[in-house]
Amino acid sequence: MSPFFYFDQNYVKFNYNYMKELLKFFIEVGKLKKMPRRGWVINQIKNPESIAEHIFRSALMAWILGEKKRGMNKEKLLKMALVHDLCEVHAGDTTPYDSVLPRNKKALRSLMKTWPRFNEKEKKKKLQEKYKKEKKALDKLTSKLPPHLKKEIRNLWLSYEKGLTPEGRFFQQADRMENFLQALEYWRKYKKPPLSPWWLWAREFFDDPLLLEFMGLLDKEFHKGRWRK
Amino acid sequence: MEQEKKFYLTKEGLEKIKKEYESLKALKFSKTSGEIPKIWHSEDLNPEYLSFQEDLSFIETRITELENIIKNSELIKFPSKEKQHKIGLGAKVLVQVDGQTDEFFIVGSLEANPSLGKISNESPVGRALLGHRVGEEVMVSSPIKTIYKIRKIKYKNI
Repeated sequence: MSPFFYFDQNYVKFNYNYMKELLKFFIEVGKLKKMPRRGWVINQIKNPESIAEHIFRSALMAWILGEKKRGMNKEKLLKMALVHDLCEVHAGDTTPYDSVLPRNKKALRSLMKTWPRFNEKEKKKKLQEKYKKEKKALDKLTSKLPPHLKKEIRNLWLSYEKGLTPEGRFFQQADRMENFLQALEYWRKYKKPPLSPWWLWAREFFDDPLLLEFMGLLDKEFHKGRWRK
Repeated sequence: MEQEKKFYLTKEGLEKIKKEYESLKALKFSKTSGEIPKIWHSEDLNPEYLSFQEDLSFIETRITELENIIKNSELIKFPSKEKQHKIGLGAKVLVQVDGQTDEFFIVGSLEANPSLGKISNESPVGRALLGHRVGEEVMVSSPIKTIYKIRKIKYKNI
């Protein structure tokens, strides 16, 4: 007898333990609704968005912007968006500034005006550490889920994290585009975070033609073609 | 369209992809030739069978993806010695930007990973740097102006 399903005449029902594990999982991931995105906390943004709020809009953006991309599996793309930051329940949110954060507020404000650069060895180390930490966190979060769900979540996350599929490669950029849009919205409202490092990073990061077109639109809409500090 | 796109790959990148392709094909063979869990109850519901299918379909999707990449790949060839003073695909470039130094590796879209300094030749900065020489300043604007001063160019495998 399967531990997760049982037959009841013509219907298939989940058994009690299965439902209990799902409930635990939903409660755990629900924590993301209250977890603020670290990048905004560092930038002292008032009432910063939560990780769940970022997931919500990144899913919408990936789906809607991805409409124009042929050969993209929308179901996979949407599921990928939903699971891409689940690991942060246990791993927390990381930013490129984490290892160089000063305690002094003035130094922090000054740091936020630049994009942190690292040497090749440091870049590799940071990426590997982040990957290990997040994989371990995702394994912990999904450990009690039925094997097929656990594997699907892990495979979707891997596709995104490592860019193994067209959906994974597109979502890597759509996810960051949501982040970029949020930075611009905060900047318009609070005049922070400083946008120079964001544009510097964006022009090195994005290469998807569709998202580059979207980036051009952000330039026009938020700066009206002119740069204002 | 992703399927028809040319994938510019470094020698190491292409070798890595071919190696992964061969290993996954071997893994698929071993899974389909003797490791299928015995199916009991319904094929649609048995979680063991479901998880096996998930794995296999993941492997198959990746194999198809790798086949497409290999079929449409183009190896990045380093320019002749006389032309290596200019930035092209496969170049490792030391730049000074925003008061800091950074090293970029100009690669095709598939190998790009800006967190590791691998910049896509299709990104605005990658595009702007192409064709420039040591000592030149490359300005990338819209909406802010950023100057990339080229300090060093070299061509070597990753």
